[in-house]
Amino acid sequence: MAVLAGGVLGMDAVSWPQIMVSRPLVSATIGGWLLGNPAAGMLVGAVLEIYALRHPPFGAAKYPDTGPAGLVAGASYAASGGAAMGALLLSIAVGWGLAWIGTVTVHVRRRLNERIMSPAGVLAADPGLLEQRHRMAIWLDALRGAILVAAFLVPSVLAVTLVVGTGPSSLGRYAIASLVLGLAASAGAAGRASAFGVRGWPLILVGAGLGLLLVWGGLT
Amino acid sequence: MRLLRSDHLAAWSRTFAIQGSWNYSTMVGAGIAYSVLPLLRRIHAGDPVRLRESVERSMRPFNGHPYLCAMAVAALGRLEQDEVDPQTIEKFRTALRGPLGTVGDRAVWGQWRPICVLVGTLSFLLGASAGWSAVAFLVLYNAGHVAVRVWAYVKGWQAGLEVGRLLKGAWLERWAERLWPVNILLTGGVALVLADVVVSQSTVPLASVALLGMGAIGALLAFRFPRQGGRAAAFLLVIAPLLWLLGGLTG
Repeated sequence: MAVLAGGVLGMDAVSWPQIMVSRPLVSATIGGWLLGNPAAGMLVGAVLEIYALRHPPFGAAKYPDTGPAGLVAGASYAASGGAAMGALLLSIAVGWGLAWIGTVTVHVRRRLNERIMSPAGVLAADPGLLEQRHRMAIWLDALRGAILVAAFLVPSVLAVTLVVGTGPSSLGRYAIASLVLGLAASAGAAGRASAFGVRGWPLILVGAGLGLLLVWGGLT
Repeated sequence: MRLLRSDHLAAWSRTFAIQGSWNYSTMVGAGIAYSVLPLLRRIHAGDPVRLRESVERSMRPFNGHPYLCAMAVAALGRLEQDEVDPQTIEKFRTALRGPLGTVGDRAVWGQWRPICVLVGTLSFLLGASAGWSAVAFLVLYNAGHVAVRVWAYVKGWQAGLEVGRLLKGAWLERWAERLWPVNILLTGGVALVLADVVVSQSTVPLASVALLGMGAIGALLAFRFPRQGGRAAAFLLVIAPLLWLLGGLTG
């Protein structure tokens, strides 16, 4: 089931149909749901989203492939029980690392597509073949996503589950502070990615202030 | 031959797979040919030579935002039907590449998608269920997504060669310019609420005011220097579980 979902999530980001189930907010929730705890999956997905937002796919920019990675990360945290801080930190890091491994596989697939979609003259002479090759390229993308999940899901779940036993220590506060500061830096960089120049910088603080009001107001 | 509504529907629905064979040589070129094929088959029915020529033209290198490529597909179909000469079609394709990419990237990837993601995340952080928040994000995002694809296809077919003029000052561009402040506000707000939720999961005491101050400075520095800020964020993400594990091992 998870491998099939990995296939769908793998092809959604670029190949078909781009409805954004491949965003970590959704893919990690699916991963959590498969392991019985969608809320745990979504928490991991939310952190990965803040990181992914600073990588919009403008032009030839490289961006993390968060579909299969989100599923693996969300499932890993859900499998750990969805309550241990160490497991949360490791799930997020695993998800982010796997997202960049996914990017490498996307690059390989694009190279492969060059071969699949050539020679142009032959494909133009036989439009049926053109359609067949194009669909084959899409299926290969699904296969890519499925392989990523098949290869990394079990090792990731095992690794994260092993961490559950490690309780807070003297370094625990620094670990959490590290994640929080990482989130802040990522939000700053993500805000800049959507801003038209540097003039929007005060808005990030105003937004954080509004967030603070929500927290103090007990709405979270 | 006159095109049927079903031909347009087939071409439009194929644009969802327009990047299926994206590659570094022709980029979305083969996807354009795949999408426009239902139109070409009808237009050149009974004339395999002209069909082959027009498919070959359609396969040439092209790039643009995948949703707005629907505009290129429809416009190219229109030009083929109007028997516009191949040189003009090639010039048209070249002229269209830049605007289709820029407008779509700024409006959809730059604004619409982040805003929808942040709204979905915020609804979860404010207490909605994970399933509901994910569905809310998908419904909101795809309402805009499908609307853009329909608009792009219809306008591409209606405008034909005039599509470039249509894109200048289009509502998408105006929206992007209006939405970015909302986007940044949401980014700051959601990041802070999310950080609070993460911290509250732990029993480890944290000096909140100091952390808040450092976070604010970090966010501002990353806004000013996004590349370095992004690298620092990735480093902090990786170092966090390592610190946790190291602390656990050393007691």
